[in-house]
Amino acid sequence: MSASARRRPDPVRIAYLAVNGAIVFFLIAPILIVGVFAVNPTPYISFPPTGFSLRWFEKFFTSPDFMNSLWLSLRVAVAVLVLSVLIGAMCALALVRGNLPGSRFLTAFFMSPLMLPAILTGLALFQLYLLSGVGRPVWGLVMGHTLVAVPYVLRTTLAVLHNFDRRVEEAAAILGASPIRVFFEVTLPLIRPGVIAGGIFAFIVSFDQFPISLFLVLPNSETLPVVLFNYMKFDLDGAIAAASMVSIVMALSVVIILEKLIGLKAYVKL
Amino acid sequence: MDQTAAGQAGAASIHLDGVSKTYDGRVLAVDDVTLHVNPGEFFSLLGPSGCGKTTTLRMIAGFETVDRGRIHVGGQDITDMPVHKREMGMVFQSYALFPHRTVTENVAFGLRMRGLARAEIAERVRAALELVALTGFEDRRPGQLSGGQQQRVALARAIVIRPRVLLCDEPLGALDRKLRQQMQFELKQLQKELGLTLVFVTHDQDEALAMSDRIAVMNAGRIDQIGTPGEIYERPQTRFVADFIGEINLFDGEAHEGGFHLDGGRQLPAPVSSGRRRRVLAVRPEKVMFVEEGGSVFSGQIESVNFLGGYTLYRVVATGRRPILVKETNLSERRARAPGELVHLSWNPQDVVLFDH
Ligand SMILES: Nc1ncnc2c1ncn2[C@@H]1O[C@H](COP(=O)(O)OP(=O)(O)O)[C@@H](O)[C@H]1O
Ligand SMILES: [Mg+2]
Repeated sequence: MSASARRRPDPVRIAYLAVNGAIVFFLIAPILIVGVFAVNPTPYISFPPTGFSLRWFEKFFTSPDFMNSLWLSLRVAVAVLVLSVLIGAMCALALVRGNLPGSRFLTAFFMSPLMLPAILTGLALFQLYLLSGVGRPVWGLVMGHTLVAVPYVLRTTLAVLHNFDRRVEEAAAILGASPIRVFFEVTLPLIRPGVIAGGIFAFIVSFDQFPISLFLVLPNSETLPVVLFNYMKFDLDGAIAAASMVSIVMALSVVIILEKLIGLKAYVKL
Repeated sequence: MDQTAAGQAGAASIHLDGVSKTYDGRVLAVDDVTLHVNPGEFFSLLGPSGCGKTTTLRMIAGFETVDRGRIHVGGQDITDMPVHKREMGMVFQSYALFPHRTVTENVAFGLRMRGLARAEIAERVRAALELVALTGFEDRRPGQLSGGQQQRVALARAIVIRPRVLLCDEPLGALDRKLRQQMQFELKQLQKELGLTLVFVTHDQDEALAMSDRIAVMNAGRIDQIGTPGEIYERPQTRFVADFIGEINLFDGEAHEGGFHLDGGRQLPAPVSSGRRRRVLAVRPEKVMFVEEGGSVFSGQIESVNFLGGYTLYRVVATGRRPILVKETNLSERRARAPGELVHLSWNPQDVVLFDH
């Protein structure tokens, strides 16, 4: 069967490979282009590249504006990761296990920040903070990001909980584990991959967040996407591309580190 | 209780008194069940799917609340005791092993919950794994084991805590036939060796008959009959039990001082009854004999012949009723009967069972 397929290529298979190739290309191409611009030494974005240099990376890493905003973005994203993991996982547990009346409605409600355009959420939060007189503190920014990050954790945790064999918890209970021990010995380790996957999304959602941040940052302490946006209004040079590459590498590192440290799919089929 | 917590518990008795359970206020799953299991007894709950076996077992384990009635284990009322204090072992049909833990960690779990010393845990885990012939698999995850091996881990995990009673919900249901028979034997062996009180849920009558000291046959949430395998098989007390366990020929008619009168006039061999009453006469296929024409109860043609190794099962069609099953042991000198042959059937009066409709 496979031998004959090798001799006479199957047109369906060729079409399948072509479609997959096209999809991969459209996903990778923008990153490749940004990568090319990031190492092209010309002082404006142009194609084809004229050489190779790290001057834009140097500019990015030596600029206090960029560095302060990168540092702020990272701190905010880590805070959002922690908060949304705690809130999202607890919400998911309550929704699936809590015997709550109207849990379907509640699920839809907690997922709703995904349905709203983020720019509206940002505007609404801006007005809320303004009216309540809290100004625009960093914790307000963290809360705004957490609002849109929680649904990701919620969704991935719910997926794991729905496939959860509760007999495993019962087995722990009859072996002498109190409800609290059952949670920490069995439930938590088994939903962990879902929670971590959601946490990674939460980190990236925060780290890349632009519309909400736009409303909630103070002029002298802006997150990286806002700084990049403002920078682009006046200079369109390779520093933007270098910053983008750094962002991508950061996001990727988080995924890989969490994968390696805690393991996403070690024993649960997601 | 302190003694049991230290793992010194012996096998305990189980008493269910008038236990009932309704799900969602609608489904009456278990209806007024009363049963007593003796210490060290292998006790089976047998019945068709949906008759309430699992629910009964889960109430003993404490996973389901009891609507009415009380449950005592070892003389102690445990009806409202939390699951984790019950000192019971349970083997689930799906095994319910901890997928994120190794075999050793799975088996050690209950001992760890009891706060035993490391050395004692290691020793008892080793002994339990040896008992179920799983030495050498200590560091595998459940996902890396076959069904039969997972089954053994589940068993080791349940018995290592020296439970007061062991509960098994169709533990062999997922295994293939050969392995299943082997595990039946091993489980029975283990139960006797350790002197465990074991409540075994199954819908497989052969399994129940082969393994149990006593069997409770359940039907739609109620217990129809409790007895030894012999009693359940030879002396079924209801039509349901007679029909559910093995094969049986049933005749509707009237019992009276002279014996049994089949609807339609014919007299059947049966013990005498006092008073005249409508009843069902039941006779097992192996109790029906081929006889000469003169002494026969029924005459008819052989409709089908099933050779089943040690015996042959015949279906005999007598006019005006459903076929009568006859089981004949295959002795060497027996001449084979052929389909279409005219035969005459009878049985001994003491081999029949009479019960109400
Ligand atoms: N969690 C539940 N919720 C509602 N009904 C249930 C539940 N569990 C079992 N039942 C019902 O109770 C009856 C007995 O079920 P079960 O005890 O599982 O029977 P068995 O183990 O003998 O097959 C069935 O009609 C079943 O549908
Ligand atoms: Mg069941």
